Order: sequence, then structure tokens, then C-alpha cells
Amino acid sequence: MKLGADLIPIKKMITMDQIRMYADASGDYNPIHINEAFGKNSQFGRNIGHGMMAAATISEIMAESFGTAWYNTGKMKMRFRSPVYPGDEIQTSGQIKKLEDTTNSSHITCTVIITRQDGEVIISGEASVKVDKPASAGD
Amino acid sequence: MPLDYSLLESGNEISNQTYTLGQKEVALYLEAVQDKSSREFDKSGIELSPPMAVAALSLRGVVVDLQIPGGTLHVGQEMEFLNSVKVGETLRCVASLASNNVRGEWRFMVVSLIVLNSSGLSVMKGKSTIMLPA
Repeated sequence: MKLGADLIPIKKMITMDQIRMYADASGDYNPIHINEAFGKNSQFGRNIGHGMMAAATISEIMAESFGTAWYNTGKMKMRFRSPVYPGDEIQTSGQIKKLEDTTNSSHITCTVIITRQDGEVIISGEASVKVDKPASAGD
Repeated sequence: MPLDYSLLESGNEISNQTYTLGQKEVALYLEAVQDKSSREFDKSGIELSPPMAVAALSLRGVVVDLQIPGGTLHVGQEMEFLNSVKVGETLRCVASLASNNVRGEWRFMVVSLIVLNSSGLSVMKGKSTIMLPA
């Protein structure tokens, strides 16, 4: 992993079925997510997806890049900037912006961003992880 | 009885719930978020729960116990995964209020979250910022 390296980006379609499924998985049945009439009368004019559902894609790219280190030492700080709507295609990407090496590990900090098909930023933030260095031959 | 949010103060515990994150719950979570990343296992071969499934669980009690009204928006989230969680583990999710302010037509609350496993070990901590109609 090098400074400035990109994490492998992912794209996903957001559907109403998924939003309902996420409501079941998370227990968050806020009507802004799942009630059509409530969504229509909201400031958004329609239902919106759960921010944490979209944010899960950040965890996915971090897990794919860093494996169990992400499970044990991962950190995320995110701002939910704009809603995600059913029918949106989102792209999640990340880039290594800081590398701090110690004797036994590297602390890697990435900028992360989720955008919609029209380029609008849905979520932006930072994710970091501590990765153990492989033991050297003499260890 | 509806909660009077203006009476909630920083430091108040707002939720303390215990859940089991089993195979069924993890499968539902993975399907909902279409997570295609490789599954991870501990050294003894037991499957690990995706960290964000733990994070979602940490908010479950907040939604219910804080009686989050429709139209509430989640505007920010911090999370720190401290130890991996095996599929099937029982977790205690504790939430307390870190701040509670009204700005214009919205009430901003910051909720501190901590998740402990059955041995009392912290597996996740975090902070959620939510915006409720005031």
C-alpha cells in the first residue's frame, strides 16, 4: 500500500427492496425510509435510504483491502451530506492519504467518499486501520 | 408515553439492550447491503460478523428507546471497531446522550455508543449525530 493509492471502488444500485430489508436488519423503521406517503410529504419528496446502509459500502471496501485488521482496528468518521434515493447508483471509493509506520505496524488513513450517479456527494469522511507488518526473517 | 427531549441531559443513559448477532441476522444484513467482500474468520475458523452489522445493532436500541420520530435524519457517524465479533455472539449495546441542542427548527443530539461482548470486552464504540424535528 502506497501513499495516494486508490482502494478498489464499488458501485451499487439502491432499491426500495433493499431499504426495506435494511429496516428489518437494523430495526430502523423510520417512515421516511419505508412509508411512501410519508416520504412524499417530507422535504425530500420521496423515501430516502438509511445513511448507514450506504455507509456499509465504505466498510466493505476497507474490509476488502485490509481484511481482519479492519474488523479489529478500523475507525470511521463520516458526514452524511445528501440523501440516497431508491433507484440511485452509488459509487464508493477511497484513497490512502496518510501512512504512519511503527516498528511492528502501519497506521493507514484513507479519505472515503460515496457519490451518486449525478456526481453529488452522499457521504464523505475518513477511515483508518492499523495493519501489522509481516514478521521479518530473523524474528 | 412520549419522551420530552428537552429534559434529556448530557450523560443520560438512553438505551441498554442485549442482542444476539446470529447467522440469520448477519445473512439479512449482508443481503440488505449487498456486501460481496470476502467473509473473515478467526483463528479457530469461526466466522466474524461484519463490523457495520455490529454498528447497525448499536443503533437499534437508540431508535426504539429514544422513540425517534419520523423525519429524524442521521447526519454524522463515528465508529471505532476495537475487537472482532464472532457470528452468534451476544452483545450489550449501551447508548448515552453526549449533547442535546436546538438550532432553528431542529434538535441536534449526539449519542455515544458502546458495544460489549459477553465477556464485558468493548468491541465497538462510536458517536451518532441525529437531527430531530424540534
